[in-house]
Amino acid sequence: MPILSLQHINKKYGQAKDFAVNDISFNVTEGEILALVGESGSGKTTLLRLIAGLEHPDQGSISLSGQVIVEGKKTVPAHARKVGMVFQDYALFPHLTILENVMFGIQKSKGNRAQIAKETLQLVGLNEDFNKYPHQLSGGQQQRVALARAIAPNPRILLMDEPFSNLDAMLKDQVREEIRQIIKKTGITAIFVTHDTKDALSTADRVAILHKGFLQQIDIPKVLYENPINPYVANFFGKRNEILATPSEDGFYTSFGFIADVEAKNYKAAVKLLFRPEHGEVVQRKGQQLSGKIVKVSYFGSHQLVKISDDEGFRVTIRTNPGRVFDESERAFFYLWKYDIEEAF
Amino acid sequence: MEIIDKKYYWWNKWTGFALLILLVVATPLFTILFKLFTSPGGSWSHIANNLLFGYFQNTLLILLGVAFSTFVLGVTTAWLVSSYEFPGRKYFEWLLILPLGFPGYIMAYTYVGLLDYTGPIQTFLRNSFGIQIKGSLIDIMNLPGAIFILSITLFPYVFLIARSSFLQQSKTMQEASSLLGANRAKTFFKVALPMARPAIVAGIALASMEVLNDYGTVKYFGVNTFTTGIFRAWFSMGDATTAIYLAAILMVFVFALLYLESIQRGNRQYSSVNGLNKPQARKEVSTKSKFLYTGICTMLFLISFFIPFLQLLQWVFMTYEKVVNQEFFLLIFRSFGLAALVGVLVVFFSIILLYALRLSPFKWVKSITKIATLGYAIPGAVIAVGVMIPLLSFDKWIYDTILSSRVAGLFLSGTLFALTFAYIVRFMAVGYNPVESGFQKIGIHVNEASRLLGIRSSKTLWKIDLPLIKSSLFSGILLVFVDVLKELPLTLILRPFNYQTLATKAFDMATNEMIAESANAALIIILTGIIPIIFLNRMIKKREI
Repeated sequence: MPILSLQHINKKYGQAKDFAVNDISFNVTEGEILALVGESGSGKTTLLRLIAGLEHPDQGSISLSGQVIVEGKKTVPAHARKVGMVFQDYALFPHLTILENVMFGIQKSKGNRAQIAKETLQLVGLNEDFNKYPHQLSGGQQQRVALARAIAPNPRILLMDEPFSNLDAMLKDQVREEIRQIIKKTGITAIFVTHDTKDALSTADRVAILHKGFLQQIDIPKVLYENPINPYVANFFGKRNEILATPSEDGFYTSFGFIADVEAKNYKAAVKLLFRPEHGEVVQRKGQQLSGKIVKVSYFGSHQLVKISDDEGFRVTIRTNPGRVFDESERAFFYLWKYDIEEAF
Repeated sequence: MEIIDKKYYWWNKWTGFALLILLVVATPLFTILFKLFTSPGGSWSHIANNLLFGYFQNTLLILLGVAFSTFVLGVTTAWLVSSYEFPGRKYFEWLLILPLGFPGYIMAYTYVGLLDYTGPIQTFLRNSFGIQIKGSLIDIMNLPGAIFILSITLFPYVFLIARSSFLQQSKTMQEASSLLGANRAKTFFKVALPMARPAIVAGIALASMEVLNDYGTVKYFGVNTFTTGIFRAWFSMGDATTAIYLAAILMVFVFALLYLESIQRGNRQYSSVNGLNKPQARKEVSTKSKFLYTGICTMLFLISFFIPFLQLLQWVFMTYEKVVNQEFFLLIFRSFGLAALVGVLVVFFSIILLYALRLSPFKWVKSITKIATLGYAIPGAVIAVGVMIPLLSFDKWIYDTILSSRVAGLFLSGTLFALTFAYIVRFMAVGYNPVESGFQKIGIHVNEASRLLGIRSSKTLWKIDLPLIKSSLFSGILLVFVDVLKELPLTLILRPFNYQTLATKAFDMATNEMIAESANAALIIILTGIIPIIFLNRMIKKREI
């Protein structure tokens, strides 16, 4: 049974013309980490606040641990939902010490509150004087306190709003992994919001892509990347190349050359071949491959992108390893080891 | 399955409390507006035929005169201290705000005393040079005199706002202007002044509200305005409905002023709020200019604060033995107590209104809570009348139904309750604004975080919000405290029989030819008034950095 279930959630702010959240339904299973990904204005933060009880939907229902917490005009208020949340700005209480911050939400009936708080702080790996105040900590340390404060009362679900956005690039990879491990260790169900696809793909078990308040696709990262349901989702993880092709009995004719493919006989009219830069390979030798003129090589350290043009000036981008040396305007040969076929018109 | 009570999402008890407060606070204002559509009282035709034109003319002339001179005085000095370096500049930044602590009526009779036959100037001229002048040195007990007195007490409003606007203008903007070949003067007229215009007009609007509120100065100088008209109708003619009618007209004046101010401001936000913009560098000037600038500021400070202040001190030395007795201390104690009570109540109500706003999912809550702060724009005499009417009818109802009119007397009207209520209506905005900015500064997330940790909204307010905005609450109480202490017209109308505050005591003594004696109470009002002024200045300076 899912721990969290959203059914047909709609939300519009004030006089706004469009819905911030548009007929969204999904389930979250116990112990899973779900990422809500989208550009700003996609409704991802609104969705998080609806689950937390900080906003109320215009329509739809939400249930948590089998209990309906939102239905029609009725709601379980935020303070009674047992939902943990880490805010983007952490929202630590500046007038309380670290320990007091973490103790704040632990109920007296749970036993020794200070003891629980200390254990939680150790769990998140904060090795500091717990009597310090939030402003005496670095940004990364503050985030750990915020995480500890949110999970200490043992919430039914943990929500995080852009948890990685305030960290610099160097720290990010490390923190992503650590937070994932902490969450997995506690077995808590977590939902986090991000605009960064790298955050989502590397940290979450499942990813939900939102666009203009609509849920586009929700699935494991691999499926989203390999089998995007629509062009928006596909392009969200980086640009895809498009080549026009004419099918024949044994392959596709393109402006870069012929691709042998038995699938081709299933198509009658012109098609588009869609592929990511890393789904192609630039090779040394001539042969049964595609070819074109190199127009631009961009070096990125971990890889380089080679732009190849056909005779009409139509371009595709292929990713190669960084060690290869290319001359611009040299002729390049490449092949595609994976592509999607879509009808062109 | 766990059972937790589900509630309607739009309801919380804070919204209920807030609506209740709003209803009560708005009653006097709506009473007055409503009365505008009923017929005026018996003496209305007399007033309309013989006095109304004079009220209009005088009120308008004083408004225009004060607006013009506060503009000239305020903007000139603000520009000098914000863009030039000259001896004493640092001190003038706050010295020129001090006149705000001088209530107009005290300034008025201090100047009358200064220029009087027995005053220090004439005495000095007589004793040193044998110069004899008949009567007063300069007769200021007239309309130009009222304009002079109100201008020198109110120009700091324009000075303060214009200065903070000049300071906020980005350095780059003015540098761009000079790189384009404009000199300092052209930069002022073409860039700085137009950019500061919305702020300056807002400052003049504030000063104008104070002019419309003033009773003491015009009364003392014998100039008939709407405020004195309300008093005359209320006390001399005993005609409440005419007083209401005059009050309603005055209120229309105020709303017109507010409306003009808001359309000139529009949606413009000239001053950049970008924290990266450093204030412009102050320019070093020639020695001659330094003398001139220091001279201008010194003159203004002497006239608007220092000389009248010295005069008050002299009077206090002359009379304190006679005046300062047990009764006087009791008076101080009572005035301070009442002012502090009002301060605490105003801040308490502001917290409830703003917390309801903070938790409410609806935008309209914001617009209706603003109604609670309207009182600051309404002249005290108008509010007094607006409070009196509902309370009188409430009393009447009590006597008619419960006490069957055997006992005569007052139940709510004419008591401290009425006075406190009216103060709250009048000064709600003064306490509301600091509390509002306090809430804004700490943001909503700490509050949400606490509620998500399972703490109810009321406990969250107590444990998180209030401790974090402690200093805002304190400055709210302090600002209201000082305003209540200075308040005159409203107090004169609503005070219980024989009840005195420092302000009414000072005014009564001054009008009864005991000017020197009145200085004792006046001095206390001014000294307490200076404390928040220094606070206020610090707040503006902080934004500068």
